[in-house]
Amino acid sequence: MKKLSVFEVAWKSLLRKKTRSLLTILGIAMAAWVLVSLFGFNRGYEASLNKDIDNLGFQMLVVAKGCPYEAATLMLKGGTGLKYMDPSIAAAVAAEPEVDGVTPMLMQVVFDPNKGESGGVAAFLGVDPVSFPKMKSALPFKAGGWFTQPEAAEAVFGYEVAELEQREVGDLYLIPEKEVEVKVVGILERTGTQDDGTIFLPLQAVQKIFGLKELTSIGIKVKKDADMKAFEDKLYKLPDVQVVSLSQVKTTIMTLVSTARVMVFSIALIAILIAMMGVINTVLMSVMERRQEIGILKSMGAMAGDVFKLVWLETIILCIGGGLIGTGMALITARLTDLLVRGLLPYSPSGGLVSIDPGLVLMTLGVVTAIGLASGVYPSWKAARMRPLDTIRSEEES
Amino acid sequence: MRTRSRGGLPAFLILAALGLGLAAVALYAAVGCDLNDPDRDVKRLFPGSTGFKTLYVSISKRGGDDLLKKIEARLGDNFTGLFETADVPYTMYEVYRGADLIGYIHGVNQKGTYGGLQVFLALDLQGVIKGFYFQKLTSKAGKAFRDPAFGVQFLGLSLEDFYKYDVVSGKEEPPGPVSRIKNPEPDSEKDFRAALRAVKKNLILVDEFLLGNPHLKSFQGHPS
Repeated sequence: MKKLSVFEVAWKSLLRKKTRSLLTILGIAMAAWVLVSLFGFNRGYEASLNKDIDNLGFQMLVVAKGCPYEAATLMLKGGTGLKYMDPSIAAAVAAEPEVDGVTPMLMQVVFDPNKGESGGVAAFLGVDPVSFPKMKSALPFKAGGWFTQPEAAEAVFGYEVAELEQREVGDLYLIPEKEVEVKVVGILERTGTQDDGTIFLPLQAVQKIFGLKELTSIGIKVKKDADMKAFEDKLYKLPDVQVVSLSQVKTTIMTLVSTARVMVFSIALIAILIAMMGVINTVLMSVMERRQEIGILKSMGAMAGDVFKLVWLETIILCIGGGLIGTGMALITARLTDLLVRGLLPYSPSGGLVSIDPGLVLMTLGVVTAIGLASGVYPSWKAARMRPLDTIRSEEES
Repeated sequence: MRTRSRGGLPAFLILAALGLGLAAVALYAAVGCDLNDPDRDVKRLFPGSTGFKTLYVSISKRGGDDLLKKIEARLGDNFTGLFETADVPYTMYEVYRGADLIGYIHGVNQKGTYGGLQVFLALDLQGVIKGFYFQKLTSKAGKAFRDPAFGVQFLGLSLEDFYKYDVVSGKEEPPGPVSRIKNPEPDSEKDFRAALRAVKKNLILVDEFLLGNPHLKSFQGHPS
């Protein structure tokens, strides 16, 4: 006769109540799914945000006081809200020891009467053909490249604006109001940032077309060892400028995300506790239903430790099974989670928002196994303490 | 039987999860051409209408490459560029007065000299043009093209009239109703031709997706 191992006995016990075992496993799987997805989101969001900020190329932006530098504000206010600063400020900033590089920019917004039923605005960003591409080296091109001449009648289109205007490299584009033709020399890949909706032109070309010499903003790349806070204070001493530090922006966004994360982690914790209670309940019910069987096992010579081990193993099998299914579900649905989170958050960086790596999977399996070990203690102890005579007698009475 | 039903639950869950994953990928498809303000625009193009239904169709879903080739043959030109691919979802509006269907509205994107054009047509149930509208237009002759006098020239025409118009050469042989449409700004010939191509493409797509191809027979008789 084949001798059964404790594992085989535990496995067969679970198979006897398939539906109950499956539902318990699914409960644990749900908890594991939430856990992996949340931790994956935590890692992915921060990594993508850091990447986005690095891809911006500059860590600080100096704008004229009261100047809207953000697309949403420009759309609402059009060109009327633009304020300008003297180009000498760029030279003054570049001379500071903390500065690794500066890139001057001039934003212009025009009304396009042919956009939609009642017209719309078109925004142009004049950038320096030398310093800007160097700072934004991470910007990928779908086709073509940057303009090379400082006054060239050439344009680089962000992905979405190229889609909307159906422009390809070599096509012409007409600047509304000014009726000036420019040639499209490059189209950027989608970045998920404001760049997607921007038309870039050489700075001097924009200054010439719009008859201006001033700037609307200066991008600053700060040296790695520089004291950002002290440098920011120094910049505020310049007349009529305001400073936007991207490290501040990042901290603000991360604070908002952390607040939401604490709430979601609390929900995850509750889900884990519910799953744990479910496991205890299932195994305890199983133990109660098998009182006679346990009594017979003990009367045949099984020690309390053997019974404890048997029941404990059943609990661990349930938890590990649920953990494996849950992490698998999290991996399969990571893309969907990404899309759902994007729909819910007011700001989402480009790149994957959910990052699940083997370390995270192992950690989750570890947590779930620990839950299994903890949940199994009471039912196992209860089963181990059963006295054979009592269990057989109770069966006879019932 | 019992064994099968027990195995069905996990299989269903896995399939459901996979299905959701695939649906998520599909959300990344290209964008079509919608009315900016459907409530306002439908009433303007169909005065007296009381409601509308929006349908989303694409060549890839209705017939794939074979259908694309068929449409290209009817157009007399190949689909090119970002907005002329088989997976572009076309937004079509069925217009109602009470419970009665009274017409259709459909817009297409078309590459112009300086930017994309969006040409919308209001059509009756036979596919005859009742309204012409540039939702978006970037052109040096933008004002002339948006003038109602230009759009009026398209009224009463249908796909039958456009079959003889060659979108590549810009000629109609023998000259017919399309040749009588006047270009308001001869210096903007490219945009004028783009508008005509957009109208022909628009009519073909409506014929294919909404009308059930009543004009296909006449195309087979008069390919351009």
